[in-house]
Amino acid sequence: MTTPTPNKRPAFEPAARLLTPTGYHPDMPRPASTVAGVVLVLLRVAAGVVVLAALAAGWDALVASADVKIEGFDPTPEGQRLALWVVLSVGAALLAVEALLAILILRGHNWPRVFVMLIAVFSISSAFTAWWMLGEEITLEGTFVSLSLDILVLLALSSRSAAAYARRNERG
Amino acid sequence: MSTDEGPKRRTRYSIGIAIDWFFFVFAGLAAIWLAYLSFTESFQVGWWGILFALGFWLLLAYLVLPRLHRILTAIYVPDYFIGRARTSDGLLGDPVNLAFLGGEDQIERVMAAAGWTRADAVTLVSSWHIVSSTLARRSYHEAPVSPLFLFGRQQDFAYQQEVDGNPAQRHHVRFWRCPDDWLLPGGRRVDWVAAGTFDTSVGLSLFTLQVTHKIDADTDVERDHIVATVTAADPRITVDVIEDFSTGYHARNGGGDSITTDGDLPIVDVRAVAGASR
Repeated sequence: MTTPTPNKRPAFEPAARLLTPTGYHPDMPRPASTVAGVVLVLLRVAAGVVVLAALAAGWDALVASADVKIEGFDPTPEGQRLALWVVLSVGAALLAVEALLAILILRGHNWPRVFVMLIAVFSISSAFTAWWMLGEEITLEGTFVSLSLDILVLLALSSRSAAAYARRNERG
Repeated sequence: MSTDEGPKRRTRYSIGIAIDWFFFVFAGLAAIWLAYLSFTESFQVGWWGILFALGFWLLLAYLVLPRLHRILTAIYVPDYFIGRARTSDGLLGDPVNLAFLGGEDQIERVMAAAGWTRADAVTLVSSWHIVSSTLARRSYHEAPVSPLFLFGRQQDFAYQQEVDGNPAQRHHVRFWRCPDDWLLPGGRRVDWVAAGTFDTSVGLSLFTLQVTHKIDADTDVERDHIVATVTAADPRITVDVIEDFSTGYHARNGGGDSITTDGDLPIVDVRAVAGASR
C-alpha cells in the first residue's frame, strides 16, 4: 500500500495551476461575495426602475423636444401614449430578466453568473472606449454610478469564492 | 516535475475556469480604472470629495489591491512550506513558530486549562457580535481571528487571550493539522503546526492599506508565553526544541510588520494528556 506523499514542487508555480478547477463541494455554504453580487445586480434593477419612472414622468416634454422624425411613428397623443407603453414594457421585461438572473445566481447556478459578467464586461469596455478614445467624461451626474455598479458586480461575481460556489457541483 | 498524479493532471484544466480567470483579471483592471475615476472625481465635487476619497480608499484597499496581490502571489509565491502562513490575498502572514504532537481533543483540553479561549469562526453572527461588543465596550472573549492559510487551508482552529479588555491587543495562536506523512524541514514528524503572535494595536496594512491588527515584531515573546502557559497547566506535557529552525526566515508579515525571531521551534507534546472523549 502506498500512501500519497506531498509533491516535490518547482521553485515557481506554473501559470496553469491557476486553471485547476475549484473543486466538488456540494454542501458549500453561500459565500458573501455571491450575496454581494446579487445585491448589486438588484441595485442595478432598482436604478433601471428609477430611470423608467423618470422617463414616464417626463415623456411629453421628451417627445416634444425630439425633432427627429421616426418612420411609422404616429405624432398624435394616442401614438405618443402607445410609444411610451412600448418603451416601458420593453424596459420592464429587460429588468425582470435581470432580476430573474440575480435570483438564479443566488441559488447557485453558474451560467447566469457568467452571462451577467459578460454583459458587465461589454458595458465596461464600451464605457472605457468612449472615455479613452473619444474623451467622453464620466461624471457623477452621468454614467459614473452605473459604471461603478457594473465594475462592482464583476468584482463580486468573479471572485474565487463566488466561482467556487457556482461550480460547487462540478466534478474535476 | 510533478509526475505523481500522472495523466489525471492533464484533464484538470477546464475552459470554464479559464473564463473565470479572464473575468477575475478583467475585474481587477476595471477596478483600477474605477479607483482612478473616483480619485479624479473627488476633486470635482467640493465637500462631497471627502466621501469620494473615502470610497476611493475602500475600493483600493478592499477590492483592487487584494485582487492584484491575489493574481500576482498565485504566480510568484511558492506553495510549499516556507515557515510562514499566508493571508487570503496570498501574502506572507504570521510565522509558524510552534509545533504540537497529539490529538485535537487533547490540545483543546490543554489550551482551556492554560487559560486560552477558542476563537469563533468568522460568520455573520460573530461579525455582528464584534460590532455590538465594540460599540457597547463589552469584551468578546471568543472574537474570531482572521483566516490565515497553510497547506492551502485555513487554520483548523485558533485560541486567544484578551488583554485587560483592550480590543486592540490580544494573544492569539492558530493551529493547522499537518497533512498525513508530512515532515518538517529536517525530517521531524509533528501532528500540528501553529503560529502564535501578539496583536499590539490596530493600524493600516502596508501592502493592502486595509485596517488590520499590527503584531509584535518579537514573535519569540508570544511563542514563549504560549509554551509557558501550556506547560504550567499540566505537568505531563513535555517540550522539545528544534534550535534555529527558522533563523533564515526574518521578514515581514502580510500586514507589512517586520518579524524578528531566534528561530527556535518548540515541539509541545500533549499526547500524555487524557483527551476529552476517546
